[in-house]
Amino acid sequence: MPEGILCNKTPVTTKEQLDAVLADKGGKKYYEEMKHLEIDVEKLQTTLQATFKSRMKTWLEMCAHCGLCGDSCFLYLANRKDPTQVPSYKILSTLGKIVKKNGNVDNAHMRYCMDVAWSKCTCCNRCGSFCPYGIDMGVMFGYLRGLCFSQGFVPWELKIGSGMHRIFKAQMDVTPEDWVETCEWMADEQQDEWPGLEIPVDKEGADILYTCNAREPKHYPEDIAEAAILFHIAGENWTVPSEGWEQTCLTLFAGDWAGCKTQIENVYGAIERLKPKRVLGTECGHAHRCMVVEGPYWAGRADGRPPAPYLHYTEWVAEALRTGKIKIDPAKRIKEPVTLQDSCNYIRNYGLKDVTREIMSYLVEPGYFVEMTPNKEHNFCCGGGGGINGIGMYRQQRNVGLKVKRDQILATGCKLVISPCHNCWDAIRDLEEVYELGIRWTFLKPLLIKMAIIPEHLKPKEEEE
Amino acid sequence: MFYQFITGPLLWLTFGIFFVGLLVRVVNYIRGLDWQLDRVAYRAHPGMAIKGALQSIIHWLIPFGSVGWRFKPLYTIIFFVFHIGLVVTPLFLEGHAVLLKERWGINWPTISMGLADTLTIGVMAATVCIAIRRIALPEVRIVTTFYDYFLLLLTVTPFASGFLTVYQAPNPWAIQDFWLYAHILSGELLLIAIPFTKLFHVVGYFLSRGQLGVDFGVKRGFKAKGGFAW
Repeated sequence: MPEGILCNKTPVTTKEQLDAVLADKGGKKYYEEMKHLEIDVEKLQTTLQATFKSRMKTWLEMCAHCGLCGDSCFLYLANRKDPTQVPSYKILSTLGKIVKKNGNVDNAHMRYCMDVAWSKCTCCNRCGSFCPYGIDMGVMFGYLRGLCFSQGFVPWELKIGSGMHRIFKAQMDVTPEDWVETCEWMADEQQDEWPGLEIPVDKEGADILYTCNAREPKHYPEDIAEAAILFHIAGENWTVPSEGWEQTCLTLFAGDWAGCKTQIENVYGAIERLKPKRVLGTECGHAHRCMVVEGPYWAGRADGRPPAPYLHYTEWVAEALRTGKIKIDPAKRIKEPVTLQDSCNYIRNYGLKDVTREIMSYLVEPGYFVEMTPNKEHNFCCGGGGGINGIGMYRQQRNVGLKVKRDQILATGCKLVISPCHNCWDAIRDLEEVYELGIRWTFLKPLLIKMAIIPEHLKPKEEEE
Repeated sequence: MFYQFITGPLLWLTFGIFFVGLLVRVVNYIRGLDWQLDRVAYRAHPGMAIKGALQSIIHWLIPFGSVGWRFKPLYTIIFFVFHIGLVVTPLFLEGHAVLLKERWGINWPTISMGLADTLTIGVMAATVCIAIRRIALPEVRIVTTFYDYFLLLLTVTPFASGFLTVYQAPNPWAIQDFWLYAHILSGELLLIAIPFTKLFHVVGYFLSRGQLGVDFGVKRGFKAKGGFAW
């Protein structure tokens, strides 16, 4: 059975393998090898037998072919209503065919499945709420990704992402030592401006255990500093774990089911070890979905809830503003038209629409907040979800998909977009790069730091001569 | 004799297949749900689950009751004309109630002939609209198969033939009671086909919509006040 050296059915689990795949810039050799990858039909059949159950079976069988899902899909709209972008067509022609043929599909079909699963669906789950039967194509594409991954058909970047998680328990090569050092460094850096600011590591029984996205320690550690400053202002008793701090799970994007389980258990392990009252995640929709929405199931928790109450960052911010832990200086409120990006992962798929709007009521001068249309549960994906932001091969498709969000933002007339989600934030940044609208975009943390009233006792003391 | 057979033993057989078939469908569906694979805690939060399921089912049963329906008003009208006619006409038709009265003495509520005619014409007109829609719209055409037209025909035949029976339309073969027989047999064929085809959505709708409602009720939308805004 021909298996590539880089592209194969075995997940990356060692540093050597990882380096070899990484060295193949852009996955040139990797994708070449993929063209010759053989399908393990028996394995596919066994997997279908064990995991393809009544919910999805019914969805595929019962789909009335009414096409109502078409207009619900931002990729269909962005591609000028190309019929091959109708969600129903996308899933029937991929997973539908695999099921119909009971796994007897060829290499070309699996590569087609990969293209569709990662470049034509961001698993935003919007179609599910527009289908009269409640057929959720996003769920099925998540499943299809799993089948693709198990057969080695996964975009190069996500093969790497899965490997990173399996080796480093993080989406990037950040070791626990690197992480703790970054926290110490960030705390040190703030001392002039924020004397006494701490980033406590592994403190047991804290009120809040904070988890984040590996890109924060790796690429913009200021984000960790900002989180620390806000906890400092709010007077929170908080901590970060030395292990189990990485809240994202590229394995979920990749369809690496086993990798999902270990990543989630790693974070849950930290929760069980440090016994915080609550856990708080960063401004990331994907990370929230991993650890809070889907995570409990991967970890085998029958109640569908994480080991401790696990909040999205917006929930904490709303609470801090509501209880006055953080007070906003009214003079510093936003006094320009501003809109809000509803992240699929914690708005449609978790229900935090009221929380984010409550935050807006504190941060934005009345009359300046403009809703996108559609919004809340029915908002469109930013265009960068489900991993597509990070896949070089699908950059063009991603950029086309961004048009829907671009037009939504343009229609608000706002030049400022608040986006409390890493993925949306990236997509909107790229959208500006590609389409040059002249907009600005921001997380909540920097806004809050700018607007918060700093309690006297936290201000640096004037040096007395 | 033939009439006695098709409205007697054959009808019983039809109802048997219809009800048992659908029951098997329901049981199999529920047995195939898996909290871990589906990633929905079906049992852990019964209150939230029931609320979510009902919310999802009811909003989609009411014309314009969901955002999805409001988004496609014309389709929604065609859809409800079609489905209301399909369900109400055969259940409350005077001609059907007469049989119940004659055979078992059951007094069954009925609708007026005028309403029955209107509903039936509605079903037939909606069928034409649905077929045209399948051909005219590229996003529907691409997912449409021959099977979809077959099911549409299977569904509308008892209504069309019933209508022709009532108005004693002539038939090309000059067979006595041709439309009546066609009506009874096509109706029975439809009932038998339901559990074995996509038409099993007569129960499948409640299962599938309910399942997604539970998903949003206990997992994906439980943080929103009032649940998911269908």
